[in-house]
Amino acid sequence: MLRYMLKRLLIMVITLWIIVTLTFVLMVSIPGSPFNSDQTSNEIVQANLERHYNLDKPYHIQYLLYLKSIATLEFGPSIKQPNQTVNDLLGRGFPISFELGIVTIIVAVVSGIILGILAALRHNGIIDYMAMGIAVLGISIPNFILATLLIQQLAVNLEWFPVATWSSPKHMVLPVLALATGPMAIIARLTRSTMLEVLTQDYIKMARAKGLTPWKVIMKHALRNALMPVVTIMGTLLAGILTGTFVIEQIFAIPGMGKYFVESINHRDYPVIMGTTVFYSAFLIIMLFLVDIAYGILDPRIKVNNKEGE
Amino acid sequence: MKKFLMLLLALLTVMVIAACTANEDAGEDPTDSEEPDTTEEGTNDDDEDATDDGTEEKVLRLNNGIEPSSLDPSIGFDAVSWDPLNNLMEGLTRLDQDSRAAEGVAESWDISDDGLTYTFHLREDVNWSNGDPVVAEDFVFAWKYMLDPETASPAAFLGYFIEGAEAFNSGEGSADDVNITAVDEKTLEVVLEAPTGFFLDLLTNPAFFPINHQVAQDNPNWHTEAESFVGNGPFKLESWEHDVEMVFTKNEHYWDADTVKLDKVHFAMVNDSNTQYQMFESGELDTASIPPELSDELIDGDNVFIGDYGGLEFYRFNITEEPFHNKNIRKAFAYAVNRADIAEYVVKNGVEPAYGFVSPGFTSPTGSDFRDENGDLVTFNPELAQQYLEDGMAEEGYNELPEIVLTYNTSDSNKAVAEALQSMFNEHLGVEVTLENQEWNVFAEAQQNLELQFSRSSFINDYSDPVNFLESFVTDSYMNRTGFSSAEYDELIEKGKSETDEEQRWEYLYEAERMLAEEMIAMPIRYYNTVVLEADGVSGILRHPVGYFDLKFADKN
Repeated sequence: MLRYMLKRLLIMVITLWIIVTLTFVLMVSIPGSPFNSDQTSNEIVQANLERHYNLDKPYHIQYLLYLKSIATLEFGPSIKQPNQTVNDLLGRGFPISFELGIVTIIVAVVSGIILGILAALRHNGIIDYMAMGIAVLGISIPNFILATLLIQQLAVNLEWFPVATWSSPKHMVLPVLALATGPMAIIARLTRSTMLEVLTQDYIKMARAKGLTPWKVIMKHALRNALMPVVTIMGTLLAGILTGTFVIEQIFAIPGMGKYFVESINHRDYPVIMGTTVFYSAFLIIMLFLVDIAYGILDPRIKVNNKEGE
Repeated sequence: MKKFLMLLLALLTVMVIAACTANEDAGEDPTDSEEPDTTEEGTNDDDEDATDDGTEEKVLRLNNGIEPSSLDPSIGFDAVSWDPLNNLMEGLTRLDQDSRAAEGVAESWDISDDGLTYTFHLREDVNWSNGDPVVAEDFVFAWKYMLDPETASPAAFLGYFIEGAEAFNSGEGSADDVNITAVDEKTLEVVLEAPTGFFLDLLTNPAFFPINHQVAQDNPNWHTEAESFVGNGPFKLESWEHDVEMVFTKNEHYWDADTVKLDKVHFAMVNDSNTQYQMFESGELDTASIPPELSDELIDGDNVFIGDYGGLEFYRFNITEEPFHNKNIRKAFAYAVNRADIAEYVVKNGVEPAYGFVSPGFTSPTGSDFRDENGDLVTFNPELAQQYLEDGMAEEGYNELPEIVLTYNTSDSNKAVAEALQSMFNEHLGVEVTLENQEWNVFAEAQQNLELQFSRSSFINDYSDPVNFLESFVTDSYMNRTGFSSAEYDELIEKGKSETDEEQRWEYLYEAERMLAEEMIAMPIRYYNTVVLEADGVSGILRHPVGYFDLKFADKN
């Protein structure tokens, strides 16, 4: 197990290095500079700015500087907000995105699984249609439409919740609802289909024949196996939601880190692009690793050690 | 059996939902305790607050859109930084209620006869928000800091009017050669490169604000947090939660504190036009912009403020390439555009069509408006356009125009304008124009390198003088982006900057603008404007045509 972990760790570092290098190449190959704006400027000012941010140096030096900043985890100041370092931005934004994300994930997973089970147990019944109807809507309505709708109805018309910003539990309800619906629907559909498959298995009949209560049959024998596909998508889902979502954070004026992924590229804010890429990749890689571990726990047939031989 | 199962599941659902709500609360507890006093009051209980409190605190809630790039006055070179800065600090001069440069920190000034030496006398009673007196040395420090190439201030070019400034900023000169001197604590002497009629206007730009040099020397990052921020404006920075909100309170150290009526100003950072409008609707904001989709519905309302905004949307011709190297062909395109229709039906929001380059709102020494004085320089005239096209094609020996590509940076409104232009060229000139859009940065670089044939542009004034726009087109200017070069034009602009007789200086500027229209190296489309929804009871917010708003006289009842 330890050897496996070490090996995985090494692979993670190499993966990260490849990602960083690719990002750097892409970054310098897109045209434009961080200092293009509507504002008046001149050559001297532009040259001073470039020198200030080391952009006048040859690419290989810039690349080494980036590698150094990543190795030391000091990404330096943002170009768009020169008085903030990338570490400041991520350090401030990530906890908020994480908070929103974790609540969203809990809501999505719990309600998705319940919907899925209900639908599978009442296969082709009214509950099935209702649950899948909700799921289809959840998948097909983009979250920014849902968000606008929720604001209009629940915040402006009914005045139950504040329109936007991020400061109290009340402020959390609408963004969580808007954000959770999509993943919930995906999880519900996944759970339903695997659940249906599992329920026809011999060991379920066996369990029932043994006289186990329906509760036990479902929770212990059926659900556990039906959750495998859900676990598979959890890695990407977690990384995606926990590191913030651009649109939802923008609509609800949530100061998370989602906006940096998109805006840093629009602004050619190189240090922020690097910082967010490294952060997101590292997060994703770790999540995928945890998912692999979770497989082993859920399904004893999958041994992490076995993979080593393959 | 099945019924039992259903019941069980129903029970489970209820339990989980309950658990999940509990979870939601649990997850938020930390934030709740972290910021107990900030936006909590921003919701419905707002109105109650106002009536319940006997004190009747006047709190204005605005939206800054996004986090200011920087509250270092030398660095923050954009509207999101200028708006807060203009209320937190004050320069030697400050725009008054008529948007003219009036006394700020300086209570008077002497200008030498040759127009080169400005001697400013600072008020005795101006203080920083930490109680220190504002001294001449604070200006010397701030301006030299702005001009230092190491600072890499995007605003540095504004300082080039000062003797020695350009050399210092380009790395050729030294700080000591920049001709700014603190004669004594309250007297500042500035020597200019050449007479500059609008120097006092220029000084209202935050780039020329003072910096408390003692504070800045102790802590170079004084401007990054509310705790260390030291200003000298009508308001002081009470709290600043990055990316969330800034709160200003009245600055009792401000020399004109009696004029300031508001007790508090909240600057939210909501960067979604629909959301900020919804917040305005639900009373969480006192001012808001109009979302483009709702423009038709809201623009005629009573609570809408519409004012001039110094800026122009225009299209640049690349005169180094066919067919726009030909003046008549350029003119043909310019006269084929129905600007009134574009303003009214495409851009909307009450904008004015542009028949000249310099936007309305610049008052000449004789008291008239630059725009009125110089009149319409380009109109919508299909026959004339057709005539110009025929002349131009004959001159160039064209039977058919070369392919024309019109490029704009990607955005919905730019697209709408470009499509309107496309159909107008087709209708009035019989010319097919291909549209192409590019992401902003790609576009900006291509335009800079003269790779585009015919492309969209916008200009926003940095300071309140017509020369600000006009000087873009002098030979080799970084802002030129057309390939235009004319010794005659360069000379007009040079005189338009340095002529000491103001009336004569404006004459040069009128002439320069007429020359731009005659050469038609760019064609104007429409002027920018400021459109703001203001809640009932909000009054006195000064929205100057150039730059930034001023809350010094603002009130809320």
